[in-house]
Amino acid sequence: MTEPVIRTKGLTRSFSMGQTIVRALRGIDLTIERGEYVAIMGPSGSGKSTLMNLIGCLDTPTEGEYELNGTSVAKLPEHELARIRNKDIGFVFQSFNLLARATALRNVELPLIYGGIKPRDRKERAAVALREVDLEDRMDHRPNQLSGGQMQRVSIARALVTRPALLLADEPTGNLDSTTSKEIMALFQRLSEAGNTIIVVTHEREIADHAQRIVTIRDGVVASDGPNTVATTETSAT
Amino acid sequence: MNVIEATRLAVESIWANRLRSFLTLLGVIIGIASIVSTAAVIQGLNKYVEEKLSDLGQGVFTVQRFGIITNRQDFLDAIRRNRRLRREDAHAIRDRCSSAKTVAWQVRSTADLKRRGNELLGVEVSGVTPAILEIEPFDVADGRILLPFEDERAVPVAFIGNDVAEQLFAGVDPIGKELRIKGTPVRVVGVAEKKGAFMGFSQDNFVKIPYSLHRKLYGTTRSLRISVQTADSSNMDYTMDEVRAVLRARHHLRPGQEDDFDILTSEGINNLWKSMTQTIFSIALFVVGISLVVGGVVIMNIMLVSVIERTREIGVRKAVGARQRDIVQQFLIEAVLLSCIGGAIGIAIAFGAAELLATYTPLPAQFPAWAPWVAFLVCTSIGVFFGIHPAKRAARLDPIEALRTE
Repeated sequence: MTEPVIRTKGLTRSFSMGQTIVRALRGIDLTIERGEYVAIMGPSGSGKSTLMNLIGCLDTPTEGEYELNGTSVAKLPEHELARIRNKDIGFVFQSFNLLARATALRNVELPLIYGGIKPRDRKERAAVALREVDLEDRMDHRPNQLSGGQMQRVSIARALVTRPALLLADEPTGNLDSTTSKEIMALFQRLSEAGNTIIVVTHEREIADHAQRIVTIRDGVVASDGPNTVATTETSAT
Repeated sequence: MNVIEATRLAVESIWANRLRSFLTLLGVIIGIASIVSTAAVIQGLNKYVEEKLSDLGQGVFTVQRFGIITNRQDFLDAIRRNRRLRREDAHAIRDRCSSAKTVAWQVRSTADLKRRGNELLGVEVSGVTPAILEIEPFDVADGRILLPFEDERAVPVAFIGNDVAEQLFAGVDPIGKELRIKGTPVRVVGVAEKKGAFMGFSQDNFVKIPYSLHRKLYGTTRSLRISVQTADSSNMDYTMDEVRAVLRARHHLRPGQEDDFDILTSEGINNLWKSMTQTIFSIALFVVGISLVVGGVVIMNIMLVSVIERTREIGVRKAVGARQRDIVQQFLIEAVLLSCIGGAIGIAIAFGAAELLATYTPLPAQFPAWAPWVAFLVCTSIGVFFGIHPAKRAARLDPIEALRTE
């Protein structure tokens, strides 16, 4: 029960660019417990995006171990990774990545479709997820009828709808103004308090400060890792 | 993801790009529409020919100087080899073939008909022995057919087609009236039932006169067409052998020498017709095949464009758990659906075209019942064949790259 959600050991990822080999990650050891709210920080080129792709099972490591929810996923084939992305991981993207032609409800249903859930259950669960992000009155709206904050909340609902072990957000406020950003961060706070495990990847200190723990990546290794001292005061202030 | 869900997605996607989808489908639409229309026309013709030939009656064959000749060399050979069939040949068949029930003959020429300043040009005038009307029955609208004694005595009488009656005897009952063939007055004794036109040619533009009268008017140089009806229609081959033996003896042919005449059966004519239309159809099929391949390539092209346009969508789908096979399925179903929609439109057009042709043109088109099924199969194959490559390309997209695309 006390098994961590994420445990990596010596996680390495290299890319070959013609003759040269670029080592984006050079051995990351990281353990994230259930219910933690973690920010991964680092300047661009630090390898944080590569780390996020590995954690999100969109990519496989060149070397090293990665256990998600107690399952080793480093060497799994494509269709197994797809299944894990579907069941265990909820993605929130900087640019929302909603399907333009589909309503909010249909967008939230999407992971359930690939999870093989029956249409009736799908609708119900998607509606519940939208209610959790306070969008029950926007279910039939298409993305172009929604504000940026609303779109991001739809995408959070989509990430939550499968009840994943891990919510993985990549610069979730990057395309939002500061007021809306605060709303979204408050929402993350609420989800964290409700027991969700959350990882936010960002290069903004202000955003990272909402988390309980901050991991800094620099040049493909963990530069610092520790509890965030300002977290509670910052969130209570907003 | 199940098939219903994927189909729904495909419909949404096709509908979202209506105009583009339609333009994409033109090749398939035109291909299917033209092949099915061609098939409809050929089927209509076949049915017509079959009906015509069955008019000929059971156990009937004809002996002619020239059979059906389909190439130049055969024609030249036949001209050199085949003799004209004369009245004496016909008499010999009548007298010596015991298994022949009826033997009749006719010779054809064209003439300009005159009546009180009215003139009808290029009418088919055939000299017939009255028995021919038993073998190739004519429905009599008015009056009667020719009688045997009229042939024996070369009585100047005529049995005329509906067109001749209408055009030369507008508003009058033609029975008992005279018309002039080559200046000779001939009395009309009967009018045939109207048969209508086939392929634009009237079938009612004829005059039948006794063979002996025709001989007087046109001389003896024309070759006869001899029709033979067997007593036992199941034994036609025997009668044909008998006829062949009689004619070969009369023409002094040695064993091994080829026949200098031709025997035609309705079955033979039908087979020849079928093989002709089949050739036409296979040529049409080939041409349309090209159009379908082009249509397929266009579908492939548009699917490739679609994959590029929807790279990000594919990335999102993969991020939320779509497997490669889910993506392949989605795009493949879209390609198949696209192509089948084209097929359906093509079928609808062909159906309309067949109806229009049958109603407003002389072509007897008949929409073939098998067409929708075959078109469905063909279009599904086109969709799969030309859709698989774009679908695989979509499925192999790296989700990270795909999500990064703008």
